[in-house]
Amino acid sequence: MRRLSLDGLSRRFGAVQALDAVSFGVEAGTVHALMGENGAGKSTLIRILSGLDRPGAGTVAVDGAPLPPGDPAAVQSAGIRVLHQELHVVPALSVAENMHLALPVPRRLGLVDWRRLNAAAAAALERLGLSRIAPAAPMGDLGPGDQMLVRIAATLIRPEGAAAPWLYVLDEPTAALTGAEAERLFAVLDELTGAGAGVLYVSHRMDEVMRLASRVTVLRDGAHVSTRPMADTSDARIIEEMTGRALSDLFPPRAGAAPGPVALSCAGLSAGPLRDAALEVRAGEILGLAGLAGSGRGALLRALMGALPRQAGTVRVGGRALGPGTAAAWAAGLAYVPRERRSEGLMMRRPVAENVALPHLTALARGRVFLDHARQRRLAESQGRDVALKAASVAQAVGDLSGGNQQKTLFARALAGAPRVLLLDEPTRGVDVGAKFDLYRLIRRLAGGGTAVILASSDLPEVLGLADRICVLRAGRLAQTVENDGLSEADLLTLCYGRDAA
Amino acid sequence: MSGIVRRFGSLIGMAAIVLFFAVSLPDTFLTARNWLNISQQISMLTVVAATMTVVMVMGDFDLSVGAMASLAGVIAAALFVAGWPVPVALASAVAVGLLGGIFNGVLVSVVGILPFVATLATLTVFSGLAFVVSDGRTVFGRDIPEGFAALARGGLPLGSADGRPLVLPNLTLIAAAVVAAVWVVLEQTSYGRRLAAIGGNAEAARLAGLPVTWLRLSAFAFTGAGAAVAGLMYASRVASANPTQGDGLMLTAIAAVFLGMTLTRGGQPRVLATLAGVVVLGVLDNGLTQMRVDSYVREVLVGAIILLAVGASALGRRSWRRQG
Ligand SMILES: Nc1ncnc2c1ncn2[C@@H]1O[C@H](COP(=O)(O)OP(=O)(O)OP(=O)(O)O)[C@@H](O)[C@H]1O
Ligand SMILES: [Mg+2]
Repeated sequence: MRRLSLDGLSRRFGAVQALDAVSFGVEAGTVHALMGENGAGKSTLIRILSGLDRPGAGTVAVDGAPLPPGDPAAVQSAGIRVLHQELHVVPALSVAENMHLALPVPRRLGLVDWRRLNAAAAAALERLGLSRIAPAAPMGDLGPGDQMLVRIAATLIRPEGAAAPWLYVLDEPTAALTGAEAERLFAVLDELTGAGAGVLYVSHRMDEVMRLASRVTVLRDGAHVSTRPMADTSDARIIEEMTGRALSDLFPPRAGAAPGPVALSCAGLSAGPLRDAALEVRAGEILGLAGLAGSGRGALLRALMGALPRQAGTVRVGGRALGPGTAAAWAAGLAYVPRERRSEGLMMRRPVAENVALPHLTALARGRVFLDHARQRRLAESQGRDVALKAASVAQAVGDLSGGNQQKTLFARALAGAPRVLLLDEPTRGVDVGAKFDLYRLIRRLAGGGTAVILASSDLPEVLGLADRICVLRAGRLAQTVENDGLSEADLLTLCYGRDAA
Repeated sequence: MSGIVRRFGSLIGMAAIVLFFAVSLPDTFLTARNWLNISQQISMLTVVAATMTVVMVMGDFDLSVGAMASLAGVIAAALFVAGWPVPVALASAVAVGLLGGIFNGVLVSVVGILPFVATLATLTVFSGLAFVVSDGRTVFGRDIPEGFAALARGGLPLGSADGRPLVLPNLTLIAAAVVAAVWVVLEQTSYGRRLAAIGGNAEAARLAGLPVTWLRLSAFAFTGAGAAVAGLMYASRVASANPTQGDGLMLTAIAAVFLGMTLTRGGQPRVLATLAGVVVLGVLDNGLTQMRVDSYVREVLVGAIILLAVGASALGRRSWRRQG
């Protein structure tokens, strides 16, 4: 049985001890889950074991033979394939080329063998049931979910002459996937482990971990807490080990108060893939948007926000017609948490404070023109406290925060203007349970305070746990609006697929 | 210790350059007169580089500034020849710079052409226009009004040294005013932070409600106007105008911004850092000229020093990433 052993891995970033003498082993043939809150050090550990980063101390060994630190090629040839958390793709290159970025490109007479390159890519895509994606298509034409699937497929490619990979390391592979896409991935993982390969699997989705993993390692604040067989633990215990607190119900109870006046409404709205949408959301209400990938959930939010030009229809906020463009939307009291925090949300190399203040610069300025740095900092600090942001200070670059804390920065930004209507697109993607718990309470509290919330999510439990009413979208149309009342996950999924709930 | 070298490496390098010239040219280099002279020599470059910084904080740049400087000079001269009063002619030339900048801005932000391509094309256009306006000739002598030439010669008296008056040149004052204005705009207004946000992540800026198209357009207008002002300063200083005299400013201005970026945290363009970059280039030029280094050799040395500074800062950043 092949075995990867991590021994005493440590890594510091300035004042942050991201990893503190972490040791555990991963064996072939099983799925081994790696859990921990945002910033616990999971991605750092994976960057080190994949050779992208060097440990301050400790070793990574395969079958007892240590791997040279900081050498991705050695890791590759030791039969380990790694999928990193952040979306790194080259939009201008083809799907097949992107899949071969970290692999040797097949050659003939020293030149690229395009036929074999595309064939290898097509075969890997096929395994994930992705024959609809053409290997020669430009990567930039795919949506984020498909890009993630392509990156997952890339780990399945086996270059000629290379040993079969025996360990797949996946850092939050399902964060950007819909339920059906994730199912396809799980089927492939079953197949891989069935054939004797091991998987080191990072996810914040408890249900996935409970279902897939046979062992689980928990990290907290960079330190190793436990490695146990799944049979010896439970979700409650894992959560307690991760967070140091017992979290009872993930979703806060609904207030049950009658919603206020209509905060936002739209009629006849067409934009991008969206056709003729009409909806209404009231102050204090949480409206969920559910639908399959490509159903227009995100497009609806973007159209409301003015980020997607509206071809037809009107949007009213507090009874007044909303002008075009994102500036008008923020000014009217809308706030938006976009789906892709890296490409659409954050200025990665800029401090947290600037990121939080971005839409509020005019309001924060003296005489609407001159910056007030102190006020900006105070705002970022108080909003950061509100969303339980973990950062060394608001002067820290957002790119140095863990994924979940980056997401909280976006929340801090959206809430800083005390919005009337909050538009959330996949608000807890890549956010740990503890932080989800906090964010759900925050969303509930805002609604309780009279904010109208529209929440688009591919995470059905999230929609069911938070929404008062749910709009179901199918192929760009608002197909149905249902009260969220005794609905099960299966019911909602059936609605998404376009059959009536049984 | 190594942290200090990383953070202040470029500053230490600058101090070393000054020290080197101070030792090599003991009688002339560290005198007030020489520094006032340097300040005038670099004033045009300062204006171009400072306004170039405005577009560079957005991650864009403008290759047409040198051609615009030349064009503004010959337009003013043509208007002098046509008998227009000096202030009106100058205002018109600056207006042309503003319009040229707006044109660049429209190409980049409304039409959506890459800044490199758009401003390379307008560089050619502006340069051609300068030849058309001037008919390819240099305007000088009696065609240049005395009042205009006197502008560059005049200044604020500061006392005297060695029996000759010391004067803070008008051109230096103009450059200082431009730097101060750009500093206020970029660092102290929400407008400036919005430009920086575009440089940080243009899509995030758009989704956060920033009018990205308008912001980019307006930033290019700044740069165009700055280039025109610099062209006029140059024409005044040499009391003549020809259709190529500003052309050298573009590359040097971009080099100065890059040099400045080696001084800032996170390697972002900032106007005071740009000013430091301009001063380094100006001091090098002044010192090497006084040491009678051949002008071609001078160019090689200046290029090598820019590479050294930018390369050292890139390496420093990399090792910083590695050790964290
Ligand atoms: N390049 C860096 N510079 C400074 N700090 C860093 C850097 N990379 C990571 N960190 C810090 O190290 C800690 C661990 O981060 P890491 O990304 O490993 O967390 P994670 O467990 O993967 O979290 P998430 O679930 O949010 O992805 C965090 O506190 C993070 O801010
Ligand atoms: Mg991570």
